[in-house]
Amino acid sequence: MKKFLKPIEPFLDKGLNIAESFIHTHRTAHFLFGGLFDAFDGLLRSPKETTQTLPFIRNNYDVKRFMGAVLVALVGGWVLPAMYLFGWQCVIPKLLISFIAGTFIVDVLWVIIAREDHISEGGFVTCLFIPAILPPQAPLWLVGLGAALAILFRNILGGVGNNLVNPALFSRLFLTICFPAFLVTGYQMPLAGMQGTYAGLDAVTHATPFTAFKTNGEIPSYLSLLLGTETGSLGETCRLALIISGLWLMKIKVANWRIPVSYLGSVFVLSVFFSLIMGKTVAPPLFQLLSGGLIFGAFFMATDPITTTYNQTAKWIFGAGCGFVTVLIRDFTTLPEGVMYSILLMNLLAIPIQSLMVKIRYRL
Amino acid sequence: MKKETMGFKGGFHLLDAYPLSVCNIIDEISSDSTPETFQFPVFGQKIKHVIVNLCPTEPWALPNWVILKHKTIVFFNMIKEIQKTYFSDARLYLAITEKEDRVVEEARNFAGGEDWIRVFSLSAKYPQDDPVILTKIVLGMDVNFGQDTKPFGILILDPQTISAMHEQGIMRKDVTSRYLALSGTGLRENEIIHVELGTSVEKILKNKVREAVTFRVFINGPLRGKEITDFSQKIDWSVNNIVVLEEKNRKALFPMFKADELAFTTNLIGESRRCVYCNFCDDICPVDLEPALYYHSYVRGEKHKARLYNMGKCIECGLCSFICPSKLELQKIIIECKALGKHE
Repeated sequence: MKKFLKPIEPFLDKGLNIAESFIHTHRTAHFLFGGLFDAFDGLLRSPKETTQTLPFIRNNYDVKRFMGAVLVALVGGWVLPAMYLFGWQCVIPKLLISFIAGTFIVDVLWVIIAREDHISEGGFVTCLFIPAILPPQAPLWLVGLGAALAILFRNILGGVGNNLVNPALFSRLFLTICFPAFLVTGYQMPLAGMQGTYAGLDAVTHATPFTAFKTNGEIPSYLSLLLGTETGSLGETCRLALIISGLWLMKIKVANWRIPVSYLGSVFVLSVFFSLIMGKTVAPPLFQLLSGGLIFGAFFMATDPITTTYNQTAKWIFGAGCGFVTVLIRDFTTLPEGVMYSILLMNLLAIPIQSLMVKIRYRL
Repeated sequence: MKKETMGFKGGFHLLDAYPLSVCNIIDEISSDSTPETFQFPVFGQKIKHVIVNLCPTEPWALPNWVILKHKTIVFFNMIKEIQKTYFSDARLYLAITEKEDRVVEEARNFAGGEDWIRVFSLSAKYPQDDPVILTKIVLGMDVNFGQDTKPFGILILDPQTISAMHEQGIMRKDVTSRYLALSGTGLRENEIIHVELGTSVEKILKNKVREAVTFRVFINGPLRGKEITDFSQKIDWSVNNIVVLEEKNRKALFPMFKADELAFTTNLIGESRRCVYCNFCDDICPVDLEPALYYHSYVRGEKHKARLYNMGKCIECGLCSFICPSKLELQKIIIECKALGKHE
């Protein structure tokens, strides 16, 4: 990669310098495109700021690499498996629409209007989440609307670092309320091995494993759930790939290991508990772990560092709370899935949990 | 004796992150005026514990081999003589880095079963050699940062001071020069120099700095030391090393593909952003604090609140600012909030 980029570097550097000096000397240009240029420049070049206070050297790790790691994990965790399972014709257009609506329209407009300094890479992560948490048969306009809403919502709250709740999940909640029909029925069986024919809307819709369980109590094989040959949202079906990339994220410390462990652990413990009390009317523990968006939510959504607590002990409570709400919704309500609601609720509760834990720890 | 390495939670392996190769030839530099002499340390209180710090954890610090000269036994005998002459009822603790197991082995053989000396093999994580952490791990005692340890009867000595004490106190020879480690991306070569006390920094750096490079000079390392702009400053005994870093104050294309180019320069390597609650700072903190809490209090304008979160324990090692992916000036905030407390 380095060798490949070497010949174009001088030209690119020169061009960017010329554009930079042009924009900074012309007031109208600066007013309109200043923020946009800085954002674009920020993606290609490192800033020239140097350290002015102790310590005078800094680690070679910035937010860009942090978000880049999440992007890599998401591509490995759901984009590639989904392309195999549902066909690339289903995945690629959704990704394109999501990125265009989210980062290239809403974020760019926001940078121009609100005069932010940079387009945050967090937007790419959010836009990569949106298609994954919608059904495979969701129409393209729904994906675009979802991405636009998520980015708009995040920017209104103040951008990356000020999110109250996970923007992608908030957007999905909004879509669930406004367009329930698309989000309840748009599930299809994966088309693994059927590449080449665009099945798209012609494919037969099929209930998700949880809806099937709630209506007639049937449980699919655990292996098919693990490998992703069952119905579900576009990104959540291939649990094996999600677990592997989630473990990688935990290893490089981008995702905090405490949250997935406590989330999955509490779901398991509580579902064992309820199964013992109520028998076959509630879903068995292993089925709970391997169905719905639990794995995706536990490894990628709940671990979003901004919307969880900062205190490490409080992260255990956060994860356990997510698991508790998830099991309650799954076992005792008519809703087909509870991961989204549980994470959103715990995102809001993270603030009081955090201040409580700080008070306990420092005896305030 | 069983082989064990002692350490602490957090910290950072700086030695692995910045491997500096040092030239083995030691350059002699003499000062223009009459050199100053080494001031023999005075101890008012009775010393009960002497810790010999043979555990450099910063890559730019003076390596042990310069003083030990691969003749570890000679050095240990030196220590024994000093102990007999000056602190005959004190106990000696050799804190040796785990990276030099040969020295640890020799020290264990030398100590044998004797009561006056103890050998510790310590992890080479930065800031293991900080006085607070050293006394905590070696003696199990709590001292505050910046506090003088002598009233507790603890004396922490580096190998160079030991050898100077031996030369001046026992051999009755004046010590007028010391070893310095010179390193950094602004230099042609990393090297060890033997320099007379009172030499100016300007003279030391003559013909050693790379041409056509803007540089900044730091005394005692870029993490805990201080920057100097006045190069006529003279070297005294407290200077252990000089680091010359390249000032990369220009934009670099595709930083993600060339990590090595910006490392160990003064560049921030990234944009300053808001805190993303990544927990890097409290994972790395050697004294188990949560530096981001100070940042949150600070940006809310509640500096006085920041002091509630155990701020007094902070040893100002700079690791939180070093690791922060959002490039927040956490250490600056901590120092500012601490200063606020002193005025009240």
